[in-house]
Amino acid sequence: MGKYIDKPASLKIDLMLRGIRIEDPVVQAWACGSSGIDILLPRDTLVNIPCREVFTRNSPYTIRRSGEDYFITDGKGEVPVKLVPKPAFCGGSTSTGVPFRDIAASHGSYTVVTPSKRCDFFNRSIECRYCAGNFNVAGGPDRVYTVDEVIETVGAVLKEKASGIIYLSIGFSPGDDGGIEFLKPYITAVKKNFNCLVAVEALPPRENRWIDETYAIGADSVLYNLEIFDKELFEIICPGRAALIGRKRYMEALGYAAKIFPNGTVASHLIVGLEPPGSTCMGIDCLTDMGVVPVLPIYRPSSEKDLRIEPLTTEIILPVYKHLYKAIKKKKVNLNWVRDLSMVTTPAEIKDLVDDSKGGLMDSFYKSRLGMKTAWGLSSLRRKLRVVDKDPEHEH
Amino acid sequence: MSVKIDTRPIWVLLGLKALRPLFFVTLAASFLYILGMTTPEGLTPEGQKAIAVFAVCLVLWVTNVIPLAITSILAIVLVPFLGVLSTRETYALFGNEAVFFILGAFILAGAVMGSGLSTRIALYMLSRFGSSPKKLVLAIFLLSAALSFFMSEHAVAAMLFPIVLEISKSLGIRPGRSNYGKLLFLALAWGCVIGGIATFLGGARVPLAVGILNEMTGQTIGFLDYAVAVFPLVVILLILGFIILMRSFPMDIQGVEGAAEALGKKLKALGKVRYTEYAVGVVMLATVLAWMFLGRRLGLSSIALTSVVFLFVLKLVRWKDIEEYVNWGIILMYGGAIILGSSLHKSGAAEWMVNGMVGSWATSPWSVILVFSLLALFLTEGMSNAAVIAVLLPASIAIADKLALDPALVTFAIAVPAGLAFMFPMSTPANALAASSNYISMRDMMRAGVIVNVLAWVLFNLVAAFWWPLIGMGY
Repeated sequence: MGKYIDKPASLKIDLMLRGIRIEDPVVQAWACGSSGIDILLPRDTLVNIPCREVFTRNSPYTIRRSGEDYFITDGKGEVPVKLVPKPAFCGGSTSTGVPFRDIAASHGSYTVVTPSKRCDFFNRSIECRYCAGNFNVAGGPDRVYTVDEVIETVGAVLKEKASGIIYLSIGFSPGDDGGIEFLKPYITAVKKNFNCLVAVEALPPRENRWIDETYAIGADSVLYNLEIFDKELFEIICPGRAALIGRKRYMEALGYAAKIFPNGTVASHLIVGLEPPGSTCMGIDCLTDMGVVPVLPIYRPSSEKDLRIEPLTTEIILPVYKHLYKAIKKKKVNLNWVRDLSMVTTPAEIKDLVDDSKGGLMDSFYKSRLGMKTAWGLSSLRRKLRVVDKDPEHEH
Repeated sequence: MSVKIDTRPIWVLLGLKALRPLFFVTLAASFLYILGMTTPEGLTPEGQKAIAVFAVCLVLWVTNVIPLAITSILAIVLVPFLGVLSTRETYALFGNEAVFFILGAFILAGAVMGSGLSTRIALYMLSRFGSSPKKLVLAIFLLSAALSFFMSEHAVAAMLFPIVLEISKSLGIRPGRSNYGKLLFLALAWGCVIGGIATFLGGARVPLAVGILNEMTGQTIGFLDYAVAVFPLVVILLILGFIILMRSFPMDIQGVEGAAEALGKKLKALGKVRYTEYAVGVVMLATVLAWMFLGRRLGLSSIALTSVVFLFVLKLVRWKDIEEYVNWGIILMYGGAIILGSSLHKSGAAEWMVNGMVGSWATSPWSVILVFSLLALFLTEGMSNAAVIAVLLPASIAIADKLALDPALVTFAIAVPAGLAFMFPMSTPANALAASSNYISMRDMMRAGVIVNVLAWVLFNLVAAFWWPLIGMGY
């Protein structure tokens, strides 16, 4: 039996780090030219495995097909897996002719919707060095999708039940609001038309009132991605974020958002592999202290990008993820919101690496459709109770 | 969008949310309980129903859980629905003179503001008294009081209201938030209320009271006799009222000088006085003179509405512009209050309450004065001044007769406190106008008003006990 193959969480991390070789023609056709392939590991652990990057050529992992069944093997052992079909909405398009896949991409429990691919850091040549265009964010005067186009796309996603959470993302734009003014009509429209949870990935606004407004207009979850905790490395790797927002403001905004949004719904990425693991662990402690969920994506080096870094090994990274789980449990941060993501190993998935216990009743409930509806209902009720209109209204 | 996120624990917020439905359920249960009770001896079934409606409206007016005007609409609906008054009679009461007086006052105020005249006067007052915020409040307070000596306090409030509003806007103070805004509008309202009790000219209630007294006993009270009897009360109330005002709402602006430059620019930008301003000024002046000298003969509302017609004949205002100045909520509220007061009076509920609650206490001359002045003061907060007098005076004269007390004294004991309404917008048009500005909430008005109300009652009785004997009005 291989080193990690028996534990879905560690296997996920190792697969994300080392990628997979696809030799079977049927699986190759399934992957269909994507940089990663979505696979469902045991215990419903969803993973997006790199399969086209250069570093994957040396991966010990391959997919073996046996009739209708698929297995991932490292040469010593194997586990049964399922290929996750591409959502049907990807083949559709809006009434204006925009392919849905240009606007949205599903990654497990959430679908990323990018109304605008613009990121002004690129125009100022201060873009984040790692930026491999995960969300196809770029500079320049790209097409801004209309609210109607986005609503059509979200409608298709939700109709297919491809995801339960709509994740609206925006790159950097000049202004004090962190991009929330731009996203506001989209969030409002999604909330008005659908009973779904909305997560917002934006930049920290200059003033906290924008965070209040983000919550008030309907965002159920917010992400201000710090990406790098180490101060010097943050300035080097994220020059735009460092110069125009500042690490201090990231911390303030995250701390404030954690007080406004429900427990476990404020998150921040810390990219694993771009700073020493000890620094990531310090970042985890700092964020969990504030009630923020650290989300740890693994850096995937790409030959086309100027940032070169040797990928870390799973042996080094695993303790970081274990530390994440322990810190989250210690600080009593709710881990039910950030879960089932194909691109990131979530704290909930790390659970079986630390205490070797299966998910409880609540875990199953939150994963169910009823659980999603309950989460949406509770989130809406909470917003109704918490949001107070400050405009004076005196009636006589 | 301007939002605040309430970060208190969810259970606290849920509890607070549950309060509203609980409140309405309790109120409805109390209403039904009063309706379902065995009708007490001496009270008509209609009177019992009127008391039930009064209790519900009083609670809603005090708590402001629903807008005041909507509470009045509830009263308008419930009174005929329960058969206290007929539908025709109920809605006819809405055509009361006071309602139309207020409508006229709103339109006149709108014309003054729309023409820019109030802006000019306000800017002049600001530049004249701009050196000190305290002096400005005092000026409004004393000006309102002094004018109310000679003309209806309602008219004074209507005239000064747009000016105070303009001053507030010029100072950039935020409605509902600024203490100074509250000071300015309460100074206007309280000045009018205190000044309004000084003479017969301050309002319709004293002539009405003297009329009832004359009708029932053949006695009367002279203009000068009245003024002398209440003079010390007015002076002391003005002094203490101002002190309470300043203490209740500590000034939150450093000075009015800050606005001076902007005001100077604004004044300059206004240019010379335009024809419209002159014309509106003349109409307003004529209206004020008519209120002073022809008010009793022609009626305040008729004069106000005649002036309104003139404004339109002279093309000084447009209906579209005026509409935004007419606070229909206040008009509805006042109309509803009049209907409620009349239903209490006509159903005999008010008299029953007086006899039942006061009859056993009012056993000596001083207790009659003490109790009736308190009752008048209390009732005037929820009813129109005239209704309080109509409700209380006949019963009190009857009690005075039994105790061989001069009926003129009980007339004073009701007519004067009936004008001292400081707590609620529905109590008097001056308060209603102040509240309509949105600078002062009902809660603020109540908080400060309750102190002055208690003080006014104590002072009135002290004046009755120590001043009246000195001028030959002993009891």
